[in-house]
Amino acid sequence: MKKVIGFMRKYPAFTGLVGLLIVLSILSDRFMTVSNMLNVLRQASIQAILAFGMTVVIVSGGIDLSVGSVFAFSAVVLASILKSGSIFFAIVVALVIGGAFGAFNGIIVAKTKIQPFIVTLATMAIARSFTLVYTNGMPITGFSQSFRFIGRGEFLKVPMPVWIMFSVFVFTWYFLAKTKPGLYVYSIGGNEEATRLSGVKVDRYKILVYVISGVFSAVGAIVLTARLNSAQPIFGQGYELDAIAASVLGGASLSGGKGGVVGTLFGALIMGVINNGLNLLNVSPFYQQAVKGFVILAAVLMEREQ
Amino acid sequence: MEKITKRFPGVVALDGVDFDLKEAEIHALVGENGAGKSTLIKILGGVHKPDAGTITLNNRRVYFHSPLDAQLAGISVIHQELNLVEELTVAENMFLGREKRWWFVDRKKMRQEAASIMEKLKFHVNPSEVVKNLNVSEKQLVSIAKALTYKAQIIVMDEPTAAITKTEVDRLFKIMKDLKTHGVSVIFISHRIEEIYEVADRVTILRDGKKIGTYDVGSVSKEDLIRMMVGRKIDDMYPKYNTPSSKVIFKVVNLRIPGKVHDVSFEVKRGEIFGIAGLVGSGKSEIAMGIFGAIRAHFDEMYLYGKQISKISTPVDAIQHGIVMIPEDRKSQGLVLILDVLKNLSVANPEKVTRASFILDWKRAKEFSLKAVEDFRIKVSSIQQLVKNLSGGNQQKVVLSKFLYKSPKLVLLVEPTRGIDVGAKVEVYHLINRLANSGVGVVFISSELPEVVSLCDTVLVMHRGRAMALLTGSEVTQENILKAAAGVEVA
Repeated sequence: MKKVIGFMRKYPAFTGLVGLLIVLSILSDRFMTVSNMLNVLRQASIQAILAFGMTVVIVSGGIDLSVGSVFAFSAVVLASILKSGSIFFAIVVALVIGGAFGAFNGIIVAKTKIQPFIVTLATMAIARSFTLVYTNGMPITGFSQSFRFIGRGEFLKVPMPVWIMFSVFVFTWYFLAKTKPGLYVYSIGGNEEATRLSGVKVDRYKILVYVISGVFSAVGAIVLTARLNSAQPIFGQGYELDAIAASVLGGASLSGGKGGVVGTLFGALIMGVINNGLNLLNVSPFYQQAVKGFVILAAVLMEREQ
Repeated sequence: MEKITKRFPGVVALDGVDFDLKEAEIHALVGENGAGKSTLIKILGGVHKPDAGTITLNNRRVYFHSPLDAQLAGISVIHQELNLVEELTVAENMFLGREKRWWFVDRKKMRQEAASIMEKLKFHVNPSEVVKNLNVSEKQLVSIAKALTYKAQIIVMDEPTAAITKTEVDRLFKIMKDLKTHGVSVIFISHRIEEIYEVADRVTILRDGKKIGTYDVGSVSKEDLIRMMVGRKIDDMYPKYNTPSSKVIFKVVNLRIPGKVHDVSFEVKRGEIFGIAGLVGSGKSEIAMGIFGAIRAHFDEMYLYGKQISKISTPVDAIQHGIVMIPEDRKSQGLVLILDVLKNLSVANPEKVTRASFILDWKRAKEFSLKAVEDFRIKVSSIQQLVKNLSGGNQQKVVLSKFLYKSPKLVLLVEPTRGIDVGAKVEVYHLINRLANSGVGVVFISSELPEVVSLCDTVLVMHRGRAMALLTGSEVTQENILKAAAGVEVA
């Protein structure tokens, strides 16, 4: 019991999630079913993958606004290669594109000291433009059965996107909690100058966090393209805000040095549950953004009280 | 204030402390870092709420829920951390929250009033200057001036003299005595014992969150006061037992840092404590930053233990060559305040806490941190305590231990005793002696002349970025250092 209370205190987002689950299962009898829960997980998985990358960047004291656009560009390039080439090659190219945009962000942030907000805002515009030019504004659709398995298939009755999200989660958790670069990320976010004077090659690790965020965007793009059997140039709009919201809900501090993927996972699930619950309750989608907005404010206020 | 108790996670900052202040008195509050002085002041100023205890003002029980409550009750506090808005001007800061009109700010009037206050105090600070362009001592003067404009009954000054010059201190003391004759009471915190005897009427001593006693200043000797603060007798304030030799172990020729340091050369011998002195802005701390690769520097030649070093462009290079620096400002340069002791130590010593070069071994990290806590006698509730909750002396020990486990060949210590208490200072001096004796080159950079004079065998005095004098043996006196620092030839 003590452990549970300790856990709830450490992750207020978990408490919030449990509260939401209870309220929604009272309000709707279609909510708390195995198939609906798997549905929530599947829908939240892409946002969660992006949010894990965002959390790493935020812990380092940065921010990555370009994730949605990089997501779209990776998706359309992936789709165009799938039309002619192998699945493996297409996936590798998509991941490389994500990583390259991340490296671009990271190198500029680390070497020029321009604020990450500005750098990634610019990249957001650039990548979106590339996407529109590349596709001429048109979606690319229709892929092989085996590629679509990534988005629609199941393994042990659990949807593939959930497995992928879970793998990314484990990877990121291990990175932040158990590796030296992970420790440096917290340290840089907490005090960059003190970290530099401790003999850490700060620039290298700042670049690394943006590469991670870029690659995760591409992973999300692969999953969504497979699920929808289509890549669209408007993919990923507003995803950066969802990812930031999930991180902050999960306890990450925008001033850096604080946060983790366990909290972010709960944050992303809260967002997913709200979407799903409002749909089941037949609330107009027009209200959904407002509900999310108030939830974020409430969560952050609650956290400050502690 | 009666039976004030305040707990922070893992520590009892104040444990049933009584404190009384008479009308028109100057009451000094002394104790080591972490004794609870600042906490007591913050409770009086409405920053913290006490967990237990009462505050009575003019026979009336009062409750302060915010600093504003305390201000309205006539209590004005000059906190140790200067609470000025960096981007605003001096005048705007002085009237912040009390601008002369409700909506539009009358800058001209504010400026004139600020100027007349500064004039009256004889502080040379331009009211139109933006605060971020001021140095620390000027900021301190602005804080003092600001507090005096509140027309308070009680003024609290938390280490107001730490960063200002002797002339300004004298003027401040005159103002304090002046306030006293107008019925104002002053609570005065200082680490400098002499100042207490110069200005205070009574003195209260705190140690480890408890009150040791309140005395009339005339009835207690300096030695007793220090003994009560530290909890034991300090026989030797400046221990010195290093054994200098004639063997040169570090040498730099024509160190240059554009605009800061011009062609400075020096040698450090095995076993000696090599000091660098000079005024603020003389380039003395930049020498350390330059050698450590923290700022861009050039030099013609550099040798360490016979090995030539051709280039140092980052701290990583310096550490690889066996050079470490204890930085000047432990909060902004030395520590990650929001992380715990364990992580702060691990970041600087990756080879001690990893396996396969990048996977963290938390068990080893914990053992390493526990050893550091023991070796350096760092007072923590656990190694998972956040560094920001440690006292200044213990924070400084964390910084020292971070770097000294790297087995350095040369240690550059920049103001290693700034803002730490007497007991911790003596421990740092012992450490410096031991380092020198173990064959590590020691460069000791400090603005505190008594410690430079007592500890150093050789002192390089800087004046405006140039080496003004190199003093050795009996030439190392406060007088000679002051002369050279002011740019006067030492005969």
